[in-house]
Amino acid sequence: MIGVTDRTARWRRRPMAGLLNLLYVFLYAPILYVIYASFSQDIVWPFPPAFTSQAYADLVSNSLYSDALINSLIIGLGSGIISTAIATAGVIGILRYPSKRRTLIIVIFLSPLFVAELLIGISSLAFNARILGLPGNMFSAIAANAVEGVAFSFLIILSQLVRYDWQMDEAAMVFGARPTRCFWEVTLPTIWPSLLGAFLISFILAFNNLEISFYNLGAIPTLPSVAWGSLRFGLGPELFALSALTNGFVFLIFAVMYVLMRTGLVKFGYRGK
Amino acid sequence: MKPDSTWRAFITPFVLLTGPGTIFISITLLLPLLTIVMFSFWRTESYELYADWNLDNYRVLFGEAAYRTFLFRSVVSGALTSLICLVLAWPVAYYIARHGGRYRLLLVLLLAAPFFTGVILRIAALQGILGPGGLINMTLGLAGFAPVKLLMYTPFAATIGHIYLYIPFMVTAIYLSLVNFDFALLDTAKINGAGPFRAFAEVTWPLNWIGTSIGTVLVFIPCLASTITPRFLGGPNATSFGMSLSQQFGETGTWALGSAMSVVMFIFSFLVIAIMSFTIDLRRSGFTGVGK
Repeated sequence: MIGVTDRTARWRRRPMAGLLNLLYVFLYAPILYVIYASFSQDIVWPFPPAFTSQAYADLVSNSLYSDALINSLIIGLGSGIISTAIATAGVIGILRYPSKRRTLIIVIFLSPLFVAELLIGISSLAFNARILGLPGNMFSAIAANAVEGVAFSFLIILSQLVRYDWQMDEAAMVFGARPTRCFWEVTLPTIWPSLLGAFLISFILAFNNLEISFYNLGAIPTLPSVAWGSLRFGLGPELFALSALTNGFVFLIFAVMYVLMRTGLVKFGYRGK
Repeated sequence: MKPDSTWRAFITPFVLLTGPGTIFISITLLLPLLTIVMFSFWRTESYELYADWNLDNYRVLFGEAAYRTFLFRSVVSGALTSLICLVLAWPVAYYIARHGGRYRLLLVLLLAAPFFTGVILRIAALQGILGPGGLINMTLGLAGFAPVKLLMYTPFAATIGHIYLYIPFMVTAIYLSLVNFDFALLDTAKINGAGPFRAFAEVTWPLNWIGTSIGTVLVFIPCLASTITPRFLGGPNATSFGMSLSQQFGETGTWALGSAMSVVMFIFSFLVIAIMSFTIDLRRSGFTGVGK
């Protein structure tokens, strides 16, 4: 009897696994194309294949790309840190301290999710340029990107912390820990995977954002705006090369994560066997 | 009561923890949006804004057929993309949440990793795969078949681009809902005699509806505001509302009209959110357990 249900369960599972794999293929085909094109001699007509590493040499020699990369990294890191810090405080606030205003706070924190990036970019341009009289600058760009980051971080951290057992914190407090020490020694060691997830997501969103950054930066280059600018003359192979390198780095991290999960050294919040 | 103690009563841990975010979002999101609403009633003349309050921008917006077409196109494209993403994302998210085991986080991160490559590069790559001389049509050509016209610069290709860009949002939203869902409830329903479909329709689906509706909105809104995808995949007849809107703030410099378009776009986003939240029954949401 158990064997039969096991088998039907497995048959029901298989189409879902197949769909997941198809989705990965769909999502990664263009990424593989980017990596392939970065080694091609002709970026517009890259078939049949003819390989060169010219794009990588050009990437290193051209300072525009390194400036753009540094600016994108600053925006990504700044926005990621601000978003994660604000969202973590907010989530702990609503989960730990019951208040009549909880729903209102949730609505406020999640509201940026429901405003299109284009609108965030354009409205902060209008506000900065015409009301505050500010020219395009990095701080505005970091802040405007962090708006979206806060909402995503809040959603991610909230969904992970809903099940967190606050009695652990109370126990620590009973034994005399101050709230800050309690956070660093009890809460943080348990919830860090979700904070890391929130940071990563808000980092990526800000790092690669075109529409919010573009309207807030004026002439300051970022990677997406350089890509946007070069589209008129055809995308530079250097951008494909840079993207290929980024992907290589990301997959190195994933490979390390996989090994850690496989060996069970770090569980990333997974509580099962 | 001393003023000091009223001050203390107001500064509760709740206010201290949620205050920074509330202030931050008010300054960086609400004030700019209010600015846009204000500008939509102003007038632009040779790149300058003048504060004479009028409704001309809205008159132009609803009077000219072109803007209505752009809006209609973007709304339909958003609705269609959301629906397709919803159907595709559910089984995927369900599989990861229920059968992903210890690799769950990695499987979800793999869905987010394409975001490390910028939108423009990914769309350019999709163009390289779908377009004439691209991977698909070239392979077909070598095998002696006619190229698939549907894939080259059509609204269909733009929809593929939208699904490509936004389906990770849908999967992640449903997944985040499902990892907090107690699958024991589903097993209880089955033990008590419900078939797999009935158990899904009456337990799993309604209890994860909040996640599903958040995912739907997260796909719909960027589609509504989409500028790059229709421009590079959609061909000549795909000018979207977002493309026209960003033009007002760029090439043509008609900020007031652009602001009015932003307000209309925001109203449409808000309508979808209102419809979705109207369908949410909090008592059956599974999210009532937030806090104490």
